Amino acid sequence: MAPVLEVEGLKKRYGSLEALKGISFKVEEGEIFGLIGPNGAGKTTTLRIISTLLTPTDGRVTFLGFDLKKNPEKFRERISYLPEEAGAYRNMKGIDYLNFMAKFYAPDEAEAKKYVERAIAISGLGERLKDKAGTYSKGMTRKLLLARALMTKPAMAILDEPTSGLDVINSLEVREMIKGFTREGVSVLLSSHNMLEVEFLSDRVALIDRGVILDAGTPQTLKEKYQAANLEIVFRRAVQ
Amino acid sequence: MKNFSHLLIKEIKELLNKQLLISLVFILVIFNFIGNITRTEMKKAMAKQKIAVLDLDRSEISRNIIGALNLARFIIEEKTGDKEKVVEEVRNSNLDLLVVIPAGFGQLASSFQPTEVETYSFLKGVSISGRTKTELVKALLNSTNDYLSNEYLKKKIPEADPKLLKAPIKSREFVVVKDKQAEGSSAAIIGALTAQNFILPVILMMIIMYSAQMVITAIAMEKQNKTLETLLTVPVSRGAIVMAKMLAAAVVGLLSAAIYMYGFRNAFNFTDMDDISRALGGLAPVLKQLGLTVNTQGYILFGISLFLTILCALALATILGVLAEDYRTAQSLSVPLVFIVMVPYFISLFADINTMSLPAKILVLAIPFSHPFFAMQNIMFGHMNMLWLGIVYNFLFVVVLLWWTTRIFATDRVLTMKLKWRKKKVVL
Repeated sequence: MAPVLEVEGLKKRYGSLEALKGISFKVEEGEIFGLIGPNGAGKTTTLRIISTLLTPTDGRVTFLGFDLKKNPEKFRERISYLPEEAGAYRNMKGIDYLNFMAKFYAPDEAEAKKYVERAIAISGLGERLKDKAGTYSKGMTRKLLLARALMTKPAMAILDEPTSGLDVINSLEVREMIKGFTREGVSVLLSSHNMLEVEFLSDRVALIDRGVILDAGTPQTLKEKYQAANLEIVFRRAVQ
Repeated sequence: MKNFSHLLIKEIKELLNKQLLISLVFILVIFNFIGNITRTEMKKAMAKQKIAVLDLDRSEISRNIIGALNLARFIIEEKTGDKEKVVEEVRNSNLDLLVVIPAGFGQLASSFQPTEVETYSFLKGVSISGRTKTELVKALLNSTNDYLSNEYLKKKIPEADPKLLKAPIKSREFVVVKDKQAEGSSAAIIGALTAQNFILPVILMMIIMYSAQMVITAIAMEKQNKTLETLLTVPVSRGAIVMAKMLAAAVVGLLSAAIYMYGFRNAFNFTDMDDISRALGGLAPVLKQLGLTVNTQGYILFGISLFLTILCALALATILGVLAEDYRTAQSLSVPLVFIVMVPYFISLFADINTMSLPAKILVLAIPFSHPFFAMQNIMFGHMNMLWLGIVYNFLFVVVLLWWTTRIFATDRVLTMKLKWRKKKVVL
């Protein structure tokens, strides 16, 4: 099966700081691929480059055969990005926010309506969607944004720290939602410094530290390779 | 185009929020309140007012003066008795002006001997009506003086015209504007043009300030609410995002400025607009003869100058908005912009750009916001080179700024540009 996303030798420099030192990885269709690493490892930079927010200093990114530098609009059409600290327009009702976002992706009103209906089902926010987003708790906002990211059935969802700042119940619900997407063929690229969460969610993971991918594989193969009980220990041994 | 209009509607809705609407209504209410108070004061000043008169002379001349005061919008409350007591009585009453005609006034005046009329103003505050009363009394006494001196001259030199004797030199004023000349007072023409255009700089300042503030706020709020990153990843061009923000800010800015100006005009409309129209009506042929009128082409050029200036302000404000991290920073960043707009505003009110020193002139004209402030003056006085230079300068300024703004939005800088108050931090 051809990979949905291919990253080759990706480099990013901010002035004198080299944030990514030539990382490479591939994401297959319907796969959840996790980038794990500590704060400052380069996870967010990688996701922001693939989401077209940042331009790479060097390297190649292809998505469904399209090159990032030549066709960034193709990436925007088929990729949904959920930033770590994303918010919704505070003065907009949840339902209006979904409508607003759906219209960018839908070819017509009927399709937009379908997207919104799907988002209503994904979010599970029910009647609260009629309230302004400014009144939502962090968990509710996250569910709304996750529903926004997935309502268009993107080829790939990029989720940066999807459960960051959420309580246990909300985190569990969000994880279940993410697991559910892949059953519909959506590929997921996610990042987290919560290695246990990534282990639970991901089909394959890449261990990233200081702009370099140390190792990659399924959680099981990595645990066996490093003779570790979980990914946290795998990561510690890989860094050593 | 579909996505652009979709974005534009969202931007307008975001800017036209409850807070803005409340503040605009509040402005209207406050201006209306101020307007009511000032209009009441003006009415009081223009209405017939009561003054006290103590005529200790009772001569024909003194009665004539009182008659004239009566005709000059005053209701006379005549007092009798000792002057000191009357002054005390008026001081304790609600009257605030007392005119005292001393005994022997008529005799001295008719024999052309020096004499005097005393006026006592009882200041109980600072009001327009208090000032106009004394001015009216003074004008009346001047007329009486004029009348008495004419009588004296007629008596002494019956063959001469008193008016000619008092003012043997007549003056004829001519005003020259470039190659055109007309008979008229330069003071009257300057006064009429100032009255005609006094509101224009205020309108310009408001439009530029409001639009700029709107766009800075719009971008800063996207950052504060953490919605900018998501917006930048939707399938719509960055140019459309920038243009939608700028256009929405211009629309809401113009609307806010219009409401502000309506309230301002309502509050500070001291002079009856009909008076200005009448004054201009009298001078209209002179202004036309001098070419001090604006034709359709002039208005179009002024419109172009204003349009380019608004674009400059919006583009500059967009860049400042990118630098702002939140609403509070956006407010601070808009302050220097406001001060830059105020430079040409005050210069256009109190100085003539053409008579300024060359370095000062260059400095003022380097501000892109300056040009529409002087555009009308340049059109009327035929300084077309200055006008065109301003338009070309602003056009180039707009092109550079828009290119820069679109570049910022098309690259990482929209997310990484920050004011370096502290050590730079990069999220990896």
